[in-house]
Amino acid sequence: MDLELLTQLTQAFGPPGYEEEIRAVIREVVTPLADSVWVDPLGSLVALKRGTGGGKKTVLAAHMDEIGVMVTYVDEKGYLRFTRMGGISPLMHIGGRVRFADGTVGVISVERREDSSKIPALEQLYIDVGASSREDAPVKVGDPAVFMRPLVAQGRRLISKTLDDRVGCYVLIETLRRLGPTPDDLYFLFSVQEEVTLSGARTSAYKIDPDMALAVDVTMTGDTPKALPMAVEMGKGPAIKVQDSGMIAHPAVRDLLIAAAERVGIPYQREILLGGSTDAAAMQLVRGGVPSGCVSIPCRYVHSPSEMVDVTDVEQTVALLSAALAPA
Amino acid sequence: MNTLELIQQLSAAVGPSGREAAVSDVLRPLWEPWSDELRTDAMGNLIALQRGNGAEPRPALMSAAHMDEIALIVTGIEKGFLHVHRIGGTDCRALLGLEVTVHGQEDLPGIIGTRPPHVLSADERGRIVPWEKLFVDVGLPHAEVVARVPIGAPVSIQRPLIRLQNDLVAGKALDNRASVAALTLALQQLRRREHAWDFYAVATVQEEVGAKGALTSAFGLNPTLAIALDVTFGKQADDNGGGTFPLDKGPTIGIGPNFHPQLVQRLRDVAKSEEIPTALEPLPGHSGTDAWSIQTAREGIPCGLLGIPLRYMHQPVETLALRDVERTARLLAAFTASLEADYRPRWEDEQ
Ligand SMILES: [Zn+2]
Ligand SMILES: [Zn+2]
Repeated sequence: MDLELLTQLTQAFGPPGYEEEIRAVIREVVTPLADSVWVDPLGSLVALKRGTGGGKKTVLAAHMDEIGVMVTYVDEKGYLRFTRMGGISPLMHIGGRVRFADGTVGVISVERREDSSKIPALEQLYIDVGASSREDAPVKVGDPAVFMRPLVAQGRRLISKTLDDRVGCYVLIETLRRLGPTPDDLYFLFSVQEEVTLSGARTSAYKIDPDMALAVDVTMTGDTPKALPMAVEMGKGPAIKVQDSGMIAHPAVRDLLIAAAERVGIPYQREILLGGSTDAAAMQLVRGGVPSGCVSIPCRYVHSPSEMVDVTDVEQTVALLSAALAPA
Repeated sequence: MNTLELIQQLSAAVGPSGREAAVSDVLRPLWEPWSDELRTDAMGNLIALQRGNGAEPRPALMSAAHMDEIALIVTGIEKGFLHVHRIGGTDCRALLGLEVTVHGQEDLPGIIGTRPPHVLSADERGRIVPWEKLFVDVGLPHAEVVARVPIGAPVSIQRPLIRLQNDLVAGKALDNRASVAALTLALQQLRRREHAWDFYAVATVQEEVGAKGALTSAFGLNPTLAIALDVTFGKQADDNGGGTFPLDKGPTIGIGPNFHPQLVQRLRDVAKSEEIPTALEPLPGHSGTDAWSIQTAREGIPCGLLGIPLRYMHQPVETLALRDVERTARLLAAFTASLEADYRPRWEDEQ
């Protein structure tokens, strides 16, 4: 496991629509590994690895963007009000910190409330960058920010902000590193704006016009106290998507992944995710339709600043993709 | 024609989502003198092309403003009275006592009423009248209504435009005829200016039911860049401060993932050099406008959004400042004229 790379990936700035920093990190790593690399009109990065025959095209997509916040108002005293970029819950973020593109750090806190037993609304939270007035605040309306939290490796577990979906980006990069010759042309798509609209994967898949599309993203687990029942656990192997709230995986794609896992002896889990979806849902509907599926890395506390995954799950996801894409 | 007359005419035109032909009919003679080509596409979008003077193949800017309006649709007939439901986000709190036109075999005037307050229980009196208790009355006996009004007939709201103090106007369908007016004025101004790029003005259909006309027209035109025009929330007495913009202080420029950061910056720069006041409108995801449909058409089209602040959105008293319409037109025309033949937006890490 290349922890240095994963650290770099998780810590790079990249809220939806503002993926420059993370794109630069990934571009530098994939450029020597790919036959060509380009940026699409909406900002997604594509690395193409040419196949050996047939010219069939497969897309592997992991999203570069991360959940964050956007400043909507700066008050006279320099406190910031904000809105969500992607699915964030007030419960997860009070007392946390955010970072703006220029490095400015802010603390998230909450107004005093009459009834403090209730979960506050997002409108009751504010960000304090330590400014003393509106004029003094180094931040303006429309500026995006992301949560801060370092990556920690503890035994076989990894804990960090933005494992959703930088761990998917990591899996794509590792797969690209390790893969030998493959029959299909492989398009490694590092997409933008998944957390808000899936519009990066949608538009890039249109341009590529693939024969098959796979998303690589995190999924939730059912293995924490009083979790919503879900037959996916952290540490039990990659999850092969059957269905989520945005799509039904194409059965042929699903079975291709299952057959590959069984052939090389990788443990896997069948995934049904009740709340949430991935880039695959958008890619499936491009042009005349694209057979699409998804391989998920089981992840606890998705969309909190401390997401947790298992190293073996990550490594086995790479192995599963490699087996599926380069049949021996 | 001055801006007031233009908006008056556009506000009065009837164009419920999916039935926008009457608005195109109003627009065609207005756009024709300023267009090199004018056509209606298969979905009903009205498309004007004003060619640039750059070398071919020329880049193209598409500017879209939706011409459909929220309305009602006949869902049933009970004892001669029409049951209706919404087309788009019609506000059912704002329907009682309205005058409407029922577009049946022929247009019939009608009104929306409900039981008088005297006969309501205390509980009913405090509540919003639900759709099933709202009726359109055209004054005909049951059999004749059935013969003359098919189920599915659209029902449009009648409300002549009025002029408030300080050059504000109030009326129906200003979402988004105000932007259609701005687009019309921009087309006119651009004819008198040098511009290297081709300019497509598109009056889109079916925005209020999912920005569908923008989706197909952006696919069809495949422009290099696009600027969508729509209305945005104006500051009013009872709003909670955030996310609204004062009237008569200029259009808003959308900022967020739906918009290319370089277009946002360029719009701001042009506004500054033209001395047009603007405000930034943070839109953290899907903007809920034509801009999203256009941005995600084909392989992705870099997009921007201008918003005209408007109070009481989706009520028949939508209110805005005439000067904001003119400022929006001026900004759009100046932005288009500013585009150098070889300009393409780039990402920061590509420069
Ligand atoms: Zn994700
Ligand atoms: Zn609108």
